[in-house]
Amino acid sequence: MKPEWQEWASQAKAEFPQANSALMPLMHRIQLVEGWLSDETIQDIADLMGVTVQYVESVASFYSLFHREPVGKRVIHVCVGLSCALAGSDELMHNLEKRLHIKEGQTTADGAYTLLEAECLAACDKAPMTQIDLRFVGPIRPEDVDTLLNKEVPS
Amino acid sequence: MTQHYLLRNRDVQDIDQFDVYEANGGYAAMKQAFETFKPEELVAMVKKSGLRGRGGAGFPTGMKWGFLPKDGRSRYLVVNSDEAEPGTFKDRELIEENPHQLIEGIIISSYATEASEAYIYCRGEFRRGAEQLKRAVKEAYDHGYLGTNILGTGFSLELKVYRGAGAYICGEESALLESLEGKRGNPRLKPPFPAVAGLYGGPTVVNNVETICNLPPLVTYGAEWYTSMGTDKSPGLKIMSVSGRVKRPGNYEIPLGTPLRTLIEEYAGGLLPGHTVKAVIPGGSSVPLLMPDQLDTPLDYESIVKAGSMLGSGGCIVLDEQVCIVGATARLVKFYREESCGKCTPCREGTYWMTDVLDRVEMGKGEPRDLEVLADVADNIAGKCFCPLGDASLGVLVSALKHFRHEFEAHVAEHTCPMGARLYDTVNH
Amino acid sequence: MIQLTIDGQEITVPAGTMIVDAAAKLGIDIPIYCYHQALGPLGACRMCLVEVEKMPKLATACTTAVSEGMVVRSKGPAVDKGRRGVLEFLLINHPLDCPVCDKGGECYLQDYTFEYGPGNGRFQEPKIQKLKDGPINEFVLVDQERCVLCQRCVRFMGEYVGEGQLLLEGRGVETVVTTVDHVPATSQFTGNVIDLCPVGALLSAPYHHKGRPWNIEREESVCPHCPVGCTSKVTAREGRVIRMEGRPIPDREWGWLCDRGRFGYDFGYHPDRLLTSWVQGVETSAAMATRQVGQWIQETINQDGGSAVGVIMGGTHTTEEAYQVQRFAREVIGTENLAISRSEAGYLPRALNGTFDDIKKADMVLLLGSDPYDAVPVVHLKLRERWLRYSALKVIGIGPTRLTRDTLPGQDVITAPEQSAAVMALALATQRPEDANVKTLLQALGDFSPSGVSPETLTELGVQLLGAEHLVSLWDGMDPAMGMVLAVLAELREKPTPILPTFGPANWRGWERAGFSAHFEDLTRILEHARDGIIKTLLVFGADLMNEYPDRALVQAAFDRLDHVVVEGVQPPEDSPQVDALLPGATWAEVYGTYINMEARLQVAMASVQPPGQARPVKTYVNTWAHILSHPLAWEEDWEPFDEDSGELLPLHPAPLHVTPLKVPAAIDGDMILITGALIWEMSEPSEILLPRIPALPGRINPEDAKNLGLDIHGGRMRVSQGETSLVTGMSLDPRVPKGLLWLPQRMPGVNTLQPGPIVLSLAKEEVTA
Ligand SMILES: Cc1cc2nc3c(=O)[nH]c(=O)nc-3n(C[C@H](O)[C@H](O)[C@H](O)COP(=O)(O)O)c2cc1C
Ligand code: SF4
Ligand code: FES
Repeated sequence: MKPEWQEWASQAKAEFPQANSALMPLMHRIQLVEGWLSDETIQDIADLMGVTVQYVESVASFYSLFHREPVGKRVIHVCVGLSCALAGSDELMHNLEKRLHIKEGQTTADGAYTLLEAECLAACDKAPMTQIDLRFVGPIRPEDVDTLLNKEVPS
Repeated sequence: MTQHYLLRNRDVQDIDQFDVYEANGGYAAMKQAFETFKPEELVAMVKKSGLRGRGGAGFPTGMKWGFLPKDGRSRYLVVNSDEAEPGTFKDRELIEENPHQLIEGIIISSYATEASEAYIYCRGEFRRGAEQLKRAVKEAYDHGYLGTNILGTGFSLELKVYRGAGAYICGEESALLESLEGKRGNPRLKPPFPAVAGLYGGPTVVNNVETICNLPPLVTYGAEWYTSMGTDKSPGLKIMSVSGRVKRPGNYEIPLGTPLRTLIEEYAGGLLPGHTVKAVIPGGSSVPLLMPDQLDTPLDYESIVKAGSMLGSGGCIVLDEQVCIVGATARLVKFYREESCGKCTPCREGTYWMTDVLDRVEMGKGEPRDLEVLADVADNIAGKCFCPLGDASLGVLVSALKHFRHEFEAHVAEHTCPMGARLYDTVNH
Repeated sequence: MIQLTIDGQEITVPAGTMIVDAAAKLGIDIPIYCYHQALGPLGACRMCLVEVEKMPKLATACTTAVSEGMVVRSKGPAVDKGRRGVLEFLLINHPLDCPVCDKGGECYLQDYTFEYGPGNGRFQEPKIQKLKDGPINEFVLVDQERCVLCQRCVRFMGEYVGEGQLLLEGRGVETVVTTVDHVPATSQFTGNVIDLCPVGALLSAPYHHKGRPWNIEREESVCPHCPVGCTSKVTAREGRVIRMEGRPIPDREWGWLCDRGRFGYDFGYHPDRLLTSWVQGVETSAAMATRQVGQWIQETINQDGGSAVGVIMGGTHTTEEAYQVQRFAREVIGTENLAISRSEAGYLPRALNGTFDDIKKADMVLLLGSDPYDAVPVVHLKLRERWLRYSALKVIGIGPTRLTRDTLPGQDVITAPEQSAAVMALALATQRPEDANVKTLLQALGDFSPSGVSPETLTELGVQLLGAEHLVSLWDGMDPAMGMVLAVLAELREKPTPILPTFGPANWRGWERAGFSAHFEDLTRILEHARDGIIKTLLVFGADLMNEYPDRALVQAAFDRLDHVVVEGVQPPEDSPQVDALLPGATWAEVYGTYINMEARLQVAMASVQPPGQARPVKTYVNTWAHILSHPLAWEEDWEPFDEDSGELLPLHPAPLHVTPLKVPAAIDGDMILITGALIWEMSEPSEILLPRIPALPGRINPEDAKNLGLDIHGGRMRVSQGETSLVTGMSLDPRVPKGLLWLPQRMPGVNTLQPGPIVLSLAKEEVTA
């Protein structure tokens, strides 16, 4: 457990009438620096929140944005919603897979990228849409894989 | 082309900044509301305006506010910014580009409903949206528009931004409340409805972002102004998100009742050159298809229902003749399978089953009886799920089976996608 | 009340009733998976679809409350199609491994599929693969593929029990029921999920692959291990008990069992079980042993008269068995020295005895020395259910340790050891100083002031004691003085003041009913008379006096002096060379009879199996001895302990109130003081199935003391010394135990070699070296 987490937990709890509401904000905050939520982190969060590990695990596993496996330095989400699909997101995904030598759901061997599907990102006007570390990057045409990979996003 | 109200400032540089927003007339409606309205008068005004919720169900907002029991318990306003219905992207623009407009709407709505705490439940993927909101909320606090005793009115409001974490079901209001309470986002049993027992068991109003954004112009221009637009039963303006095979995809604010054709051809610039409409999903991925001969359907709640579909969240996806309906349907049904919370049987298992069958049919591995099975599985889901998500998975499928049965049959008969797999062509299969 | 029509039949039910429950009252069975009355509506499985007039869609009968004039149809084409559809959905990802599933034949998925389901499968895609036979803990296995995600188990453990050790993981069709990373569930109540699971997803590990529904027999029974007397069913196969299940009783019992009760059924097959007879250390035939004992009894009667024989009842004997022994003792031997083996000195007259129904009405609960979770686990659930339904429930613990818990929150009045009765009396005095009984109680107390309890606390307690509308007390029976204070309290209050005795043995009320004295003094007197040579022969039925009686030295002295010690039982008593004859007895599953539980409720348990080896029911011994003593007993009609049916309460007899002044609690000096209490895991009958769950560190000590004594934070072994005697046992750290106290389970072997009071604690040798 990082020393500052205690502080984060009390800050988050103070925000809400009921402390349990602080759970997701705390998970977000910790994941932002850790990249993912390891078993130990889940245990720490449970301790910080005063709930059981089971509970945290159950909540974390419900939401697709909480990573329970290590992820790469940059997490790429490719929207596979219908509007993006109509604009070629399948091809984009395919090109990314080829380029990164991984399959959707995997992380490159050098730990640089994790490639994930996203359900409709609510940016269909800029299809095909992607996100890097949850920052919108798009539209990205299927052939513009390099533009995407070279894109700088604020952390 | 038309009046813009919610999107009127979209071209103003830095409108997301407090000063710019205020310089452009922002927060005037809030002050006006405090000065000239008592809370119940605001509720009455909203009732009179006929404003209907923009989250999908179109429930009259004033009536919803009126359900709050007058029992002295403190009330919550929760703003639903979980926008994740495929094809819908209006709320994202509203929060990312003009967060103060939403905050002003929240202050007015909270004042009207006498809520002392408000939450914006922001979709987890909206990282920027949440940042924008948090910053704007802080600015509003700094200027004394939020907090205790706002502008000396005696009215106090705490507003917090809460981030979801990737779950479409959390757009459903009771699942949203569960999530806001730090739980898995499973929908709750109703009754009790949120108005009676919502967040932390307290009386709660849940409204969509767009719904709330209507409040500042409503206060400024009044209920009559609102009912002067749109139709009798669907007054006012609605933002439609247009995407798919059109020239200018984007958000367009239209008076309700505007024909679908106008939206597609005039607002969105028509289809890509050389293409024709095959079908339109007019209100987000959960609603039935409208066919080319229905393009003159006025976009208001009643007319669309009459035409066999729904206005829903206003996510209008235009499909052209190149699109494989089976592929498109498979894609949408798969979305529901990914997003089913898993609580109830028909939704959890039914979407799984339908996705598999649709994928198989799309790949040319279907059998004739698959289409009967699909229709029957859909019928076994219909009306039997715990929450509306299960039914939502059927909207496109059932109408596609009806209007494009030949296309499904062709997939089965020809053992391949007769469209050259427009949707799936490049990859996987 | 609401009137409605279901399938053409009219019924009137209370408002808020769900359609399923209203239908059940009419005998109309609506299929359900996720719904359970104790857990409340969930609406997840969608199996219970019904048609309700004026509703556009089918409704779920488990979530739809009745309304006036409602017309419900539980059958019909739409309903049938809906149910068929749901079943088909449940089956698509179900492995259909029924032939090897323990639940086969008792499974709701099979039953409903047979009744409502699709005849054939249309699903051709691959099924989702999940974990099979994964452990929930030592007792429970999970097969995630068979799970229908009804959430009963998760909700039971989380919401109902309050120990959320099972969880849903994942989302949508990938959702599974699991524990975290294979950390075994430790709750006292995990086995209930086996009964709750409508399919074969949660299975009993000890029963796994042991029987099929057509080669087992299930008999109604009662759990014999603690005074709750949970209603249960015993499953037997080929003459062997292989399972215990809960047995719900409408409007009374949900059928919960604690894990100790559910899985401890194997004591009849323990390697130590007494299957042959022994006389003076020599194995012998049953006939020889019985005859020998008969001769001893004869000799004693001849030399010193019948009253030189003492008879002590214990174990899991039924009320009828006690009655047989009692008649033999009184009519044939001619002795009045009959007592029940007791571990606690307190006694509760029938007149003050409350019922579990009182818990459902309680607005305040007193835990008097008793932690129901440890002592009478299923009562803990009953209390918790009351608290879940009535959040204003006040729970107050009074005793030397904290008795409330996270799962049953309340307030604790921590008293010094042996001062609780005085604290209660003083609290009453703050409100009713002039009451004659209260005055008598206080008469000898002088200016005694209890340690650590402020006058304000006393006043507040007094106000609550008298103010509560329906005050239920759970009493551990340790201090007889408390019994008197409770009687005074009940007299003082004009409102219901039911008391539930949490002390054992499980069937003491039954044996009392059969004619045994349940008073601790009588037991002590018999042992003292034995020690003093007045009683010469002692017949002990089922009891393990060496461990049960709180002062082992007295038992030892008595055994040393007695001419003949005869012990009948299922297990040989531990290390007692003085026992002259050992006679193998029958277990609760091997006899038919009645138990009377802590509510004074009579409950019948059927015999499921035959006693093995030479083991035989008490009646056989008694009859033989009666013949030997030439005084055969006539059992014209089998004695029934009650005139009413099973499930009735013992008749009430008013008990006269005798109030005597409380003694000034003696000051206990010492840095460390031993106190004892009940722990269900340490109650009698040994079980191999339970072994992995028997606490390795049963002692409890405050974390600060532990730290000072150099104990590891995970606990460890320590030596407890008192004068010449000492005991080495495991200790765990427990903040509920105040500093300066050591808590030990009173029935743990060896604990009664020590006496509550000052002790010296030190690390056990192996801990020091480690
Ligand atoms: C599966 C599902 C998803 C939903 N998603 C959203 C959403 O993303 N945003 C939204 O405002 N309403 C959504 N709704 C509708 C809400 O439940 C609720 O009706 C709405 O927020 C009320 O606001 P309104 O009255 O202003 O429309 C969804 C409903 C369902 C059943
Ligand atoms: S394991 Fe059994 S009780 Fe638990 S959710 Fe699955 S089917 Fe229900
Ligand atoms: S029993 Fe009614 S939905 Fe499960």
